[in-house]
Amino acid sequence: MSGPLDGPAPDETESPHPVTGLDDVVHQRVRLGILTIAHEARRVEFGYLRTQLGLTAGNLSQHLSVLETAGLIEVEKGYAGKRGRTWITLTAAGNAALAEEIARLKQLIARVETTNAQ
Amino acid sequence: MTPDAVPAGGDPRRLLAEARELARRVRLAQRVTWLPLLVLALVTFGAVPVYSFGHRVVSDCRALSDGEVCKVWFQAVSFYWWAALVLAYVVIAGGYLRVARARGLGARMLPYVLTGVALVVVSAAVTAALRLLDPLPYPGGPSAFVVFLLHLLDPTGAIGLALLVLAWLERRVALLLFALGYLAVVLPPPIAAGWGTSSWWGPSTQMEISGGLLLLGSAGFALAQRLRRTR
Repeated sequence: MSGPLDGPAPDETESPHPVTGLDDVVHQRVRLGILTIAHEARRVEFGYLRTQLGLTAGNLSQHLSVLETAGLIEVEKGYAGKRGRTWITLTAAGNAALAEEIARLKQLIARVETTNAQ
Repeated sequence: MTPDAVPAGGDPRRLLAEARELARRVRLAQRVTWLPLLVLALVTFGAVPVYSFGHRVVSDCRALSDGEVCKVWFQAVSFYWWAALVLAYVVIAGGYLRVARARGLGARMLPYVLTGVALVVVSAAVTAALRLLDPLPYPGGPSAFVVFLLHLLDPTGAIGLALLVLAWLERRVALLLFALGYLAVVLPPPIAAGWGTSSWWGPSTQMEISGGLLLLGSAGFALAQRLRRTR
């Protein structure tokens, strides 16, 4: 199954500099990590994100809140037995934003490599 | 630490590398490769007694210079495979979901399960068409290529084809190689395939070999997973 992390870097040397199209909500290490994991996992639990990203619960909650407000993720609270569990799912807008961010990052890398080669 | 404590900029190479590493870890955590191989091995072994003792329909026997040739339909085996494989894919889907949920993740096996069930349906449709329309030349038998295609759609071949989809979903080269090796063993070569078998016990032996391969694969992938976790 192909994803935004696959494939070659787009060649858009004539277009505006890729940094101009970066979305501040997504272009952030932790939030990009959350979106990446949610995309790959289809659905991810709060605890998995906290462990993988090495964050405190409060800090992760703040990042999730930013993404939820932007409409990039959906947060669903439920129970597994007596234990409360919070599941995070990527929305269609979140999928698109992640794909866009990855494409921009690849363009940036391609720009840097082209500049270095000249 | 606030949501913006990590610099928004950052090296794009590093960001991309980190994202790839996180995606890789998710895929590793979602893998339960030993489960489908084990379930399918059990289903394949279960076919052995059905082949040996199940009802078969023998018809249209004709004398040849070196013996006799008959049409044989392993009726009980056909029904066994269709039911057992659909049940197996339901069990596999349930197992994957359960393991993934316990690890705090969703599962990505749906295309595999749908492919597996679709191949069972195609296999059943081909068997029904062969029974009802009787399109194959007899007693000469079809060409080696047609025999190869028919074997590809029979239950053991269909198991291998569906495993290719699982290898793609899990992005696992080891499983891809295993599935190709499995198909190489269970399928007759397209240029030298024979048609039918002269022994009642032939299909049973074939099932034992297929089931043994799947069981070995299951043990191998389970061991690999255990070794990775202890590292």
